[in-house]
This record gives sequence, C-alpha cells and structure tokens, in this order.
Amino acid sequence: MGLIFEGIKEAFTLIFSGDKVILGILFLTIRVSGIATIISMMLGIPLGFVVGLNNFHGKRILTSFINTGMGLPPVAAGLFIALLFWRSGPFGFLGMMYTPTVMIIAQVVIASPIIAGITLSAVGQINPKLKLQAISLGANRIQMSWLIFKEAKLPALSAIMAGFGGIISEVGAVMIVGGNIKGSTRVLTTAAVQMVRMGDFSSAIALVIILLVLVFAINFVLTLIQQKEKEKWQIKYWK
Amino acid sequence: MADKILEIKNLKKHFSTGFSLNIDYLYVYESTIFTLIGSNGSGKSTLIYLINMLIPADSGSIVFDGQEILDKKNINQKEVRGKMAVVFQEPILFNTSVYSNLLLGLKLRKIRLEDYKDDLDFLIDTLKLKNLLTRSSKTLSGGEQQKVCLARAILLNPKILLLDEPLANIDQETREEFREVFFEILKQKKITTFYITHDRNEAMIISDFVGVMENGILQQTGSREEVFRRPVNERVAKLVGIETLISGVVASASDGVVKVRVNDNTYIYAVGESINGKKVMVSIRPEDVIIIGSDAETASLSTLNIFRGRISEIKNTGLFMKLEIDCGFPLAAYITNASINRLGLRIDREIFAAVKASAIHIF
Repeated sequence: MGLIFEGIKEAFTLIFSGDKVILGILFLTIRVSGIATIISMMLGIPLGFVVGLNNFHGKRILTSFINTGMGLPPVAAGLFIALLFWRSGPFGFLGMMYTPTVMIIAQVVIASPIIAGITLSAVGQINPKLKLQAISLGANRIQMSWLIFKEAKLPALSAIMAGFGGIISEVGAVMIVGGNIKGSTRVLTTAAVQMVRMGDFSSAIALVIILLVLVFAINFVLTLIQQKEKEKWQIKYWK
Repeated sequence: MADKILEIKNLKKHFSTGFSLNIDYLYVYESTIFTLIGSNGSGKSTLIYLINMLIPADSGSIVFDGQEILDKKNINQKEVRGKMAVVFQEPILFNTSVYSNLLLGLKLRKIRLEDYKDDLDFLIDTLKLKNLLTRSSKTLSGGEQQKVCLARAILLNPKILLLDEPLANIDQETREEFREVFFEILKQKKITTFYITHDRNEAMIISDFVGVMENGILQQTGSREEVFRRPVNERVAKLVGIETLISGVVASASDGVVKVRVNDNTYIYAVGESINGKKVMVSIRPEDVIIIGSDAETASLSTLNIFRGRISEIKNTGLFMKLEIDCGFPLAAYITNASINRLGLRIDREIFAAVKASAIHIF
C-alpha cells in the first residue's frame, strides 16, 4: 500500500511542478492522438455514412471489413504499418519510421474503422423513410445526405469519442512504429510502460493519472456538446 | 368534369418477395379526392412510391400533369416531384424545431417564404400549431407530429397530394376531429388528393372517387357511389363493407327489374338488367335495410323486398348496432341503439326487413 500512496504523492508532485519531460510527453500525446482522431473522423464518418446510407453490391463485405477493423489489435496495426515504413519496406524511402507522423498513421488505421463502424450502425438505425421523405420534399442527393447526417450527428460524436478513446490508450502500435524514443516519440502510454519496466512506479502512476484526466476531460467536453445538442430545443425560442 | 391530372396505364412492378403490382388503368381528376382502399399488403403504398418515383416501375405508363414520368431520360424527376407532396403513414419529421420542419419543403424547393406567408399563417391557425412551433419535433405526440407533416405537405401547394394512411396512427377521437378540418382545407384549396386508407367509412365520407386494390390488382375504380353501391365482384363487395352477399339465379328480368331466386321460396328484386337463368350475386348494404317491428306496418311500404326473419345476433359496432337476421338467407342490417330499444329488438325476435330494389346490386 505504501508504494501506491508514495506513487500517488509523487505523481501529483510531478504534475503540479510542471515537469518539462512530463509536459513534453503530454503535448506529444495530445498532438499525435488529436491529429489521428481528426483524420480518422474525416475518413470514418463519411465512409460509415456512405456505406450505411446506400445499397450497393459488396456492401456486406465492406461492412464486414469495417466491423473486423473495429476489433483490430493495435499490435497488428503497428506491425502492418512498421512493415510498410521499415527502411526496406515500400515506403521506407520516406524515412518516417520512429517519427510522430508514422505514429499518427498507425493510430488512424486503428481509429478509422471504429468511427466508421459506429457511424454505419447509427445511420442504419435511422428510419429509412427519412431519406424518402427528404427526397419527396425536394432534396437532391447532397441535401438528402446532409439532412440524414444531421439526424446521425449525436451517434457520430459517440463514434469520435470511441475512436479517440481507442487510440489514446493503446500502447502496442505506437511502441512498434514510434519506438518510444525519449523526447521524440514517447507518449503517455509508452512512457508508463517504460517506467513500470524500470520500477519507477511513481512516474508510472503520474503518467497514468495524467492519461486518465486527459481522456476524461476530452470525453467530458464531447459529452457536453452531445447534451447541449439534446437540450437545444428547450432554450431556443421562435420570434 | 375536370381534366385528368394523373393517368396510369398497364403499370407493373415485381418484387423479389414474389409480390407483383399490376394496374391496368387508373385516373385521378384534378381537384378531386381519390381514395384507394384495400387490405394490408395489397400494394397501395407501393403505388404511391411509384407515383412519387421513389421506386422504379418495371413497365407501364404514369402520366402526371401531362408528362410521362416513367420516361427517366426526358424528365427531371426533382422538378416533377416538386409538383407533388407525400405524407407517409408514420410521421416523418427531422430532428429540429416544428417551425423548421414546416418550412423544410419550401426551403428544399427554393420557394420564398414571403410568397407563402399567408398560407403558413392559415395552416398554423387552422391546425392549431402555434404553440408547437418552437418545440423540437421529437417531443410531440404522434398525432401532433402527423399534423405537422400534413401541414408541411399542404404548404407546398402540390398539384397532387399523396397520402399513405396518414391518420392510421392517430386515436379515434382526434382522428375524426382532425379529418374534418384537414379535408375541409383540401377542398377549400382544391388540392387533388390521392388518399390511401384502410377505413372504408372514411373513404365513404371524404372521397369523390374510389379505387379498390386486392393482391396488387386494382379491382375497381369509379365514383364513390358506383364502387360502394355497385361492386364488380365479391372481393370488392367485402372490402367496401357489403356484408350481405347471396348467390342466386335470375328468375325473370323485365322493365328494369331483375327477380333473383335465392332459395326455394325467396326472391329478391333489384333494379337493373340481366338474363333469365344467369347465376348472380346479390349485394345489400347493411345501412340500406329498414327494420320493421310488425307485419301490419309492411302493408304501407312501396318496396318490393320485404323479408320475414329472426334476429340471430346483435353486435355493437361502435356507431351502430349490427343485426344479423336469418331470412332464409343471412341478412345484415345497421340500426341505432335507440331503435333497438324502441322496437324492443332481441335475439330470436321475429321481425321484417325491407330493402328498396334500387338499393340492391347484382353482379
């Protein structure tokens, strides 16, 4: 027990003393996972939306691929990206291995199917007659898609939360492609693993607490947006 | 008679489930209410989807407002749809305010609200929507939601309004009150309406013309009177609420009166033409049967058809009581509860039932 309390105490000291190393790790984590979430959102939401809204040959296979991708182990994604960006791999000439850029790519591979899958499922639950009603009211294809998208925006936010949660907490992929290089590719999860290996539990606990606070803060903001959207109509008055 | 705004010929649509829709011929006159009745799964809704081009037809022709709308190459579907409005059975509103939902059609069709402000105010007033305008559509009751859907459709001032059982999910009391207001607006605005309903009583009240669908086939179309009084076959007769259908043989036909033998001792007289010996079906609407308490009163009646019978069943159908009378053939009659009490009617009581020959149809 003493170890835990000592660890927690040390953690708060590290956090509130503004330790430069810790702050560096924190900002890199936010940068890598933030950019990866934005890119995954830009890929996953339209993909889930298009697949969910349209009927076409191969829809079932594509849906199965997306669903499989949702359960993709981060280690597998990391290995796959590492093979592509390894010095002798097809993109080795770019020299991106062990850089934050390739970490972002790996996280996009993990988060995109999660966001696409949840969006697809949300669109699938929308009453199909909404689409017909939009068309019959005079909407063209783009207008109809936009109207349906607006119906699915709350579940889409959940998809973003799930995608972000999936990548900020993963360790396998970023460890493989980033290499956990101090001051360069070390993020909260890989740093925590490193500290545990070194027996520095105080630092590990500090890093985990920061990680938890970060995840909570971001999800809290997204939840607020979700709730505000629901309550919007109770405070909006028509003049 | 006004021009035909919708004319459908040889329309066919086959589904992988095995269901097929075949419409030989159907037309709707401008500024009239055409009601399509039929049982569940008979293809009524499919027809609306085809008219609004929401699903493609396999073959045939739909001429709307003088334009062949199945000819995809030569028409602008969005433009044609812009002359129509559809309301589905379940209320379909978007997750925004009632006001935004009301204006959505105008916005999508790029119609300036200023040009329709009076119509909007009129609809808000008439359909009592004022207190709902700022609310989210999702917080309304089913009936309120459907009101908004109907108002949104009327606001578009369509050349044809396609209504797929829009009142089906509204409770009986609200439904009757709302129906009256709603159809009054349609008549006032002279909006051609293609209305689908299960409720034949509703069809009888509101329609100018009626069509009857069964198993994807349009069995009969015509004026309300024609379809309800003179069904072309047994299926239509049942669907339009004719409960007394008796098979018989024409015993004689002269001077516009056909005498049909329905059993050894019973003859029914109907106005019409036929041929001696022809096997026919006799249809009698329950509301055309007059119940007479005693033999003495029958002497003063001019009708040719007076049947002696015994009451075998008395059923409450809501508006009326329904009597099942055994006259040697089963005869159904509607009567008010007050009349039942006044005449002292009960099961097994002997009574007389009179039906004018002109109210009886044979086919």
